[in-house]
This record gives sequence, C-alpha cells and structure tokens, in this order.
Amino acid sequence: MKLSPNDKIIQDKMKPGILTADGFLGTDKRNFRDIIAEDMKVTSTFERSLEDISRRMEYLMEKSFLSYDSSIVVDGKYEVEYNSYRGVLLSPFPKAGRFGKATIKVTNMKNHFSVMWTPLHVHFIRDYGFFEGKGSKFRIEPEILYKAIFD
Amino acid sequence: MEISPWVLFWASIFTSNILLTNFLGMCSYLSVSREVESSFGLGTAVFFVTTATTAINWAVYHLIILPADIVYLQYIIFIIVIAAFVQLTEIIVERFSPVLYYTLGIFLPLITVNCAILGISLFMIIRDYSFIQSVAFGAGSGLGWLLAIMLLAGIRTRLREKFIPTGLQGAGMSLLITGIMALAFIGFSGIVNVQ
Amino acid sequence: MNYLKIINEILILAGISGVLSTLIVVAKAILQNYGDCEIDINGKRKVTVKGGSSLLTSLAEESIFVPSACGGRGSCGACKCTVIEGGGPILPTEKPFFTAKELAENNRLACQVKVKNNIKIEIPEEIFNIRKFKSKVAKIEDYTYDIKGLTFDLISPSEIDFKAGQYVQLRSPKYAKVRESVTRAYSISSKPSLKNQLQLIIRRVPEGICTSWVHDFLKEGQDVEITGPYGDFFIRDTKADIIFVAGGSGKAPIKSMLEDLAEKGCDRKMSYFFGARTTKDLYLTEYIESFSKVFPDFTYYPVLSHAEPEENWQGKTGFVMPYFPEAIRDPKNTEAYLCGSPGMIAAVTKGLKDLGVPEDKIYYDSFA
Repeated sequence: MKLSPNDKIIQDKMKPGILTADGFLGTDKRNFRDIIAEDMKVTSTFERSLEDISRRMEYLMEKSFLSYDSSIVVDGKYEVEYNSYRGVLLSPFPKAGRFGKATIKVTNMKNHFSVMWTPLHVHFIRDYGFFEGKGSKFRIEPEILYKAIFD
Repeated sequence: MEISPWVLFWASIFTSNILLTNFLGMCSYLSVSREVESSFGLGTAVFFVTTATTAINWAVYHLIILPADIVYLQYIIFIIVIAAFVQLTEIIVERFSPVLYYTLGIFLPLITVNCAILGISLFMIIRDYSFIQSVAFGAGSGLGWLLAIMLLAGIRTRLREKFIPTGLQGAGMSLLITGIMALAFIGFSGIVNVQ
Repeated sequence: MNYLKIINEILILAGISGVLSTLIVVAKAILQNYGDCEIDINGKRKVTVKGGSSLLTSLAEESIFVPSACGGRGSCGACKCTVIEGGGPILPTEKPFFTAKELAENNRLACQVKVKNNIKIEIPEEIFNIRKFKSKVAKIEDYTYDIKGLTFDLISPSEIDFKAGQYVQLRSPKYAKVRESVTRAYSISSKPSLKNQLQLIIRRVPEGICTSWVHDFLKEGQDVEITGPYGDFFIRDTKADIIFVAGGSGKAPIKSMLEDLAEKGCDRKMSYFFGARTTKDLYLTEYIESFSKVFPDFTYYPVLSHAEPEENWQGKTGFVMPYFPEAIRDPKNTEAYLCGSPGMIAAVTKGLKDLGVPEDKIYYDSFA
C-alpha cells in the first residue's frame, strides 16, 4: 500500500530513536500500513473483534495494576506481571496522547502461551490493529495473544 | 482651483468623504470596524499619517518628481515615502509613548497598505492643490476616514444583538450599511464642490 | 541620450529609497538603542543585558526561565512577575490579565515589559532557582545490574540551590540510532549542602531513550546539560512520624532527604521501607542502615518479594504493605514519602489509606 503524506509522518515516527530507542517496526521492511493489512488477515479469522481483544487486555491490566510490580494470578489461569516505570510512552499516531510506561507480561497457565505488551499496545490494537513490525522487541503475534488471553 | 484650505478641510470630512464618496481604504475599514475602541485607534493613526504624508509627498512631487520629469514613477515614490514614514513613526512612538504604541499596535504598519492614503496623495496631484491646500485636504480626509469608521463601528456594535440573515452576516451587512451611509453623505454634496 | 535618462531616473529612485532607509536605520540606531541595562532579580542577583528586548527573553538569555505558554505574545498570562522599578507604564495588552489589586502591586507580564533601563523585579523563588547547568560526569557507579549512580560536577553555573527531594531534567543527545535529543526527569540523590555537585540514581527502563543512553553510552568526563531543580516533593517541617517507601531507583530523593535531615538534626520517628525483588536489587544497604546511628529513631526495612531460597535472605519477604503496622504508631500523625514506579505508588497509597494515614499526608513526586 502506498503511504499518504500523513502516513509518512507516522512511518517516520515509528523508526528507531524517535519515540522509543528501537522503534516500532523492528527489522520489518514493509511499511506500517502493509503490516496492519497482513495482520488483519489473521485477526479477521478470530471470533472476537479488536475491541474485544483490547478490552480483555485492559481488564488484565486493571486486575494486576495494584499488584505492586509483581506477578499475580487473575481468574485462576492467567499469571500477569505488571511492571510500571516512571515516564510516558507517546504514540506515533496523531492525537493519541500519552500512555503510562509499563510492561505487562501475561502467561496462560493452561496452554503456556505467553505475551508481553505495554499500555501503548492496547491503543495500537483497538484503534489501528497494529501489532508492531516483525523483529521488534514488542511485536505481538496476534494468534499467540489471542490464545494467551482468551483460551 | 482656488478653494480656501478651510473649506477644503471641512469639505473633505463631510461632502467628499474619501471613504464614503470614493470608497477608498475599504479593507481595513471593513476588518477593523468591529470595535469602537480599535476603530478609533486606527482612525487616529490614519489621520496622523495622511496629514504628514500629503505634506511630504507634495514636497517630494514638486521638488523632485517634477524637476526630474519622472511623473510616471510617482506611484512607487509615494508608496516608498508612506512606508518609510510609517516605519519612522512607529520607531518614534515606541520610544516615547509605549502606551500609544501598544494601543495602535498592529494598525500602524497596516496603514502602509491603506489605499486611502495613497489616494489622497494622488488626488492632491491631479487637482493641483497648493501646499496649504494639500495639508488641509490630507488632514480633512484623515478625519473623514476616522469619522466613517467610527460610525460603522458604532452601528456594528449595536447590530451585534440583532438578528441578521446568515447570508448577510459580516462583510455583507457592513457593505450595505456603508452604502446607506454613503447615500446619506451625498445629501451634503450640494453644499460645496471641491472636485 | 535615452540611456542617460533611464540611468538618471533609476538613480533618483534609488536615491530617495536610500535616503529614507538611512533615516530609518539612523532612527533605529539612536532610538532603539537602550544600551546595557541591569536587571535586579529579587535583590539577590544582578544580570546585565542588552536593552530593547522583552523582560521574558532577556531573562531567558540569562537562563532564568519564567514560565510562558504562548511564547511571549501576551496571550496566556503565565509570565506574571512583579516589576518594582523601571517597567514603564502598564500596557493595554497586560491589563486584562490582572485584578485591580494585582495592578496596584506592580504585577506585570514579563513578555510585555521591555527592558529599556535598569529594572528591578521579583519572581518566585522556585523559578529564580531553575537554571540550565553545564556539567561533567565525575563518576559512574554500578549499584545493581540495572541501577547506576551518577555524580556530576557542575561547571557553569557552578552551584545549585535545591530542596532535598526535588528533581532535575537531564538532556540526552542524539546517539547511535536515536535521532532526537530528549529530556527526562530524575530525582537528585545528593544532599543540598553539596552545592557544586549533583548525584542521580538512574534505573534502566526497557526501550528508554535517555536511560539507555545513560547506561550504555555515557562515560566519565563527558559533558551533560542539566536543568532544574523542579518539584514540590520535599520533607514537610512538622513533628509527625515519617514513613519512607521506595522501590527501584526511588532511593534517590529519600537519600537526599535523609542526608539533609542528618545535617540539620531531626528527632522524628522514621521508618524506611525499600521494596525489591531479589538480593540482586539491593544497594546502598549498609549506608542507609548507618543512619540509625545518626537519628534517635530510624529503622530500615528492606523487603524482598521474590527472594530465591539459595539467596539465603534472612530479612522480610513479600510486599512492604503488611509491615507498615509495626512502623506506624499513630496513623493520623504520620507523613508518608513515596518514590517509585506508578504501580508501587498506587499500591502503597492504598495500603496506607487502609491503615488510616490521611491522604493529604502522603507525598510523592508526580513527574510520571
């Protein structure tokens, strides 16, 4: 997909060293619109929508926030480790605002799938279906995320 | 033309108001007439600049342009003189009266592009006024412009609470009012003929 | 013949323009030259600036940053200050921002006041103290695998005035892949009486631009730009018991506070909880414990949440909250000073409130 001028600004902000040290695209050579389109092919086969997924992620974050930076078990089957840091995460997308700096690691104790995300990703997934580029430290594979937080 | 400067002064305020009979200086007239206070600021600045620049331009025309036979360059030269004069005024006012400087604010530099001011200089040449006549004409026209913008600002302030059809709001309404005001001023025009 | 006429005309036009421009230039040189003016700030510091520009920009050139949201256009009214002498008459652009009382007290907008002569002003002490410092890294220590202690020598200005608990902003330059220079806030860990040096404790944040720079690229002897001090996190001067809670690099402001209290002398009951995961996260333990010899009633409680059996940890385990009751005598008469991650602050605040500590006595830095 060709990028519009506005998209080019977003694409530039996703490069390493602009908003985060390593950027959001990893080693992926595709532009972010193509990445979203590819991932959309996977997520459209899910039974639940992106909104459902992000709401579920928020639910797990809410349950674990007061755990004081250590892991707790939510609903008897998800081990959630919430690590918060001082500072903010900025979104490369326009008008998205600021998000608290934290990492949330969820391990499904039944099927042993494990994913890690930041508050920024909830916004990425809900508003854009963006899971970051391949090779990025915080790339989330949609199938794994889905299996980890729903199964 | 042998008109007494005194008559010329009053005539250019009322019977041949530069704005309402010649429709010159319309852009700032329409855009700044929202508030009486700022209209007064701009009007005063215009009055001051027209009076001074007609005098300077008369001298420039008769001492430089005519002897050098470069009448076709008068437009450029007049504009340069006006611009420079406005600049100088700004510097002087800023130094000696910061309060006046901030009251006039952006209006002072705006005057450079007020066509009424160039128009007055050009009329003075066309009508072949003497130096005293020119100054009287410049001062009168400046006051006339001040009068016109104050009148419009007063009316616009009153109109703010009145119902105006959407299509007429803003410039449309202002132009209509200006037209009616111009009609009223035509009533004066039989008294003296200065043109 | 014709050429001559054209050249002649061009010369006349150029001559008129030239004369007028010269007039303007001369007028500017004479009328807009206010020479060097002296600004007297709070009667404490005098700076000499070139006259003619606004008070706001003149102060900024001297690294005194009066807050301004609109950048000096006179539309936000944030840059209020008191001009005691030499400000000239109040301008119509300023009037809407002040009440009659404020006008009578010589309040002005710094962006509208032009420095035309010697001028005497008063600005809030906090703003007056905020400066931009050129500094050099004097020492980098490894406290743990992800926490470093940094010492900076202040070069110009060479001294800083701050309250224990305040923070500074560090500017990281462009480095490696990072193409933007960023500023981040870090609490000062050294004591206020050490005026020509600053110490910071910085924990690596995953993907953090500034902390990665500090941990991987910053070397001793390097020049660093620091601005500050900022913040209203400091010890309230009361008689209440104090409970400190820190996690990770949150030891920094509390170390500064303890050192400051030790110098001034303090007999309040103090308890200090430090929450960490394993023994690998503990640092400065002996140093903090040594304060129990300085203060009459000081106890340090390091608490580990994930101590492994082979670490042979003898101390307290789990979260810090369950241990609060043994440190709190009277919850109503207890002040809490917290520093750590947002998750920790939230959890500890809840824990303290449940025990009856009033919410307005729980203090923490809000520079999240």
